[in-house]
Amino acid sequence: MEQLIEQLKSQIIEALNFEDMTPADIDTDAPLFGEGLGLDSIDALELIMLMDREYGIKLADPKAGKAIFQSVRTMAEYIQANRTK
Amino acid sequence: MRIAITGIGAISAIGRNCAETLQSLLNEQSGIGSMRVLGSVHKELPVGEVPFSDAELKQMAGIDLSEPMPRTALLGLLAAREAMQQAGLQNTDGCAFISGTTVGGMDLTEQHLHHYAQGQALDHIRLHEADSTTRTIASHLSPFAFTATPSTACSSALNAVLLGANMLRTGQAKAAVVGGAESLSKFHLNGFNTLMILSHEPCRPFDAKRNGLNLGEGAGYLVLEREEDAKIRGAVILGYISGYANTCDAYHQTASSENGEGAYLAMKGALEMAGLTPGDIDYINAHGTATPNNDLSESAALRRLFGSQMPAVSSTKAFTGHTTSASGGLEAAICVLAMQHGFIPANLHWSETAEGLVQPVLHTEHKPLHHVLCNAFGFGGNESSLVLSLAGTDLSETALPSSLTPIAAIEELDDSAVSQMVSGAEARRMTPQMRRIVAAARMVLQQTGITPDAILCETEWGCMAQSMRFLQDMLDNDEQQLKPTPFIQSTHNTVASLIAILTGNHGYNATYAQHPLSPSAAMMDIRTQMALGQIHSALVLQFDEQVESWDQVLAHVGDQMTPIAHAYIYKV
Repeated sequence: MEQLIEQLKSQIIEALNFEDMTPADIDTDAPLFGEGLGLDSIDALELIMLMDREYGIKLADPKAGKAIFQSVRTMAEYIQANRTK
Repeated sequence: MRIAITGIGAISAIGRNCAETLQSLLNEQSGIGSMRVLGSVHKELPVGEVPFSDAELKQMAGIDLSEPMPRTALLGLLAAREAMQQAGLQNTDGCAFISGTTVGGMDLTEQHLHHYAQGQALDHIRLHEADSTTRTIASHLSPFAFTATPSTACSSALNAVLLGANMLRTGQAKAAVVGGAESLSKFHLNGFNTLMILSHEPCRPFDAKRNGLNLGEGAGYLVLEREEDAKIRGAVILGYISGYANTCDAYHQTASSENGEGAYLAMKGALEMAGLTPGDIDYINAHGTATPNNDLSESAALRRLFGSQMPAVSSTKAFTGHTTSASGGLEAAICVLAMQHGFIPANLHWSETAEGLVQPVLHTEHKPLHHVLCNAFGFGGNESSLVLSLAGTDLSETALPSSLTPIAAIEELDDSAVSQMVSGAEARRMTPQMRRIVAAARMVLQQTGITPDAILCETEWGCMAQSMRFLQDMLDNDEQQLKPTPFIQSTHNTVASLIAILTGNHGYNATYAQHPLSPSAAMMDIRTQMALGQIHSALVLQFDEQVESWDQVLAHVGDQMTPIAHAYIYKV
């Protein structure tokens, strides 16, 4: 799980172009949207695409992302449970 | 003076011309169905296609089959020609052709990009540019004194109407053929798909269970002229332009604000120019794309403005699909048909209301319409509204001052100034050249301390770095698993709307695709608006970026990209 979390942080930094950031800068349990990283709806679409490309998880409804993307940890847990690759 | 409409032309999934369009509307016959012409792998997505191949369209338009021509130009030519024939406009000396598009020649580029590298299909390359689509259409119509290509995403065609009207009111055109054209492309079908806003069923505007839009294609044009000129020519007057406004929601690149601020301001401005009150409007042709976000936001704006006096509302996108840059022209033509024949088009596929949504008209209603409002909203919050009337409204007119010079300019910026003006967090989605133009805009605004009434941008190639990134991703990955951000940032109007969002500017906002040989549309726009007192200050941007892959393509035809990031302030 810890390994997946670290890998996910790197993938988020790359997908969302946080050029000056390292995985250590992202708090595993901090909210991704609003406070914390301050992501928006475009980022949510990027995260949905990231899960599809990297883990073979398809979300049909963008609203479903809300619960999954609460934090890096919730996202990692969802990926762990649903990944197809 | 009064601005008369003397001709209309329309082509879309519901008809090759205005007569067929009218029949489909009256019969409640939608044109949305399975994809047959567009060569996308996403056959699961219903579309509003014009059911003819490019070769068939060429035949209809009398174009030689061997002549390379974007599908957008073919659709535009057919509809513009219909409008001019109805108006009986043959002599176009001193006339303007203003045609909005965003796709331009993208359909050819996505088919032939791999050919270019091999030195093939080279006569297609320059057709990529959106303004060349307008020039191509014009070259097959008649010699025009002025051409321009508004490119504000889905409000492009309505903004063409605004510029044409302003040119008539300032004596800059004897007549103006205005509207827009847009074909389907794999590029924007996939782009909208990455945004997860395409429905897999026929779209249901304003319905509780609406789940996205269907893309459509088509073109729509109006011929505008001064009432007295139309009467001298003996032309039949179909209706009048009585008010219009363009604003910016200044909220988000691809979403509308919850209270519909930009839409509210656009509709309010259009009514004010027309000297009308909400109770005077008989019908609203809503933008109504059937995305959860648009319909709720537009409903909020409608309720704010019209309150208990809500007129009949419908979205005709359940007939045609969302024809994106063409929608304002096509739907303005539909509004003229509705006034002429006294009916309100149905809002198809509606079954259930939900809190906050307006209640649309479900079936064709026959009644006289005196004033109708037509909305077109685009990415970046580019919102425009138009009031059309059966009887004319007097609009002010004035002469144009001979010239206009900027009071401040930023034409050079070093890298440290750029990183000072644009923070890392803000810049994470911007290409280096976008950072440069944002920095230049901020600097010139800071220098002058002006909050501009208008923000305009002119660009030859648009946001080409992100366009090529998305296109290459799409071609390499067979239209699967594409990143949304490059598409969101690919439209020509990204720069002007981004600056409005960053500075919270709800004023006039427009972008023109600008061929090097065309006269400056942005300057014509602000000069006419300043003369008419619609704006008193403007931020004008010139933007182009250098993209290695496209530069290599252009080298085949002895051309190259010229990067530019200039910002100017004009003031009266």
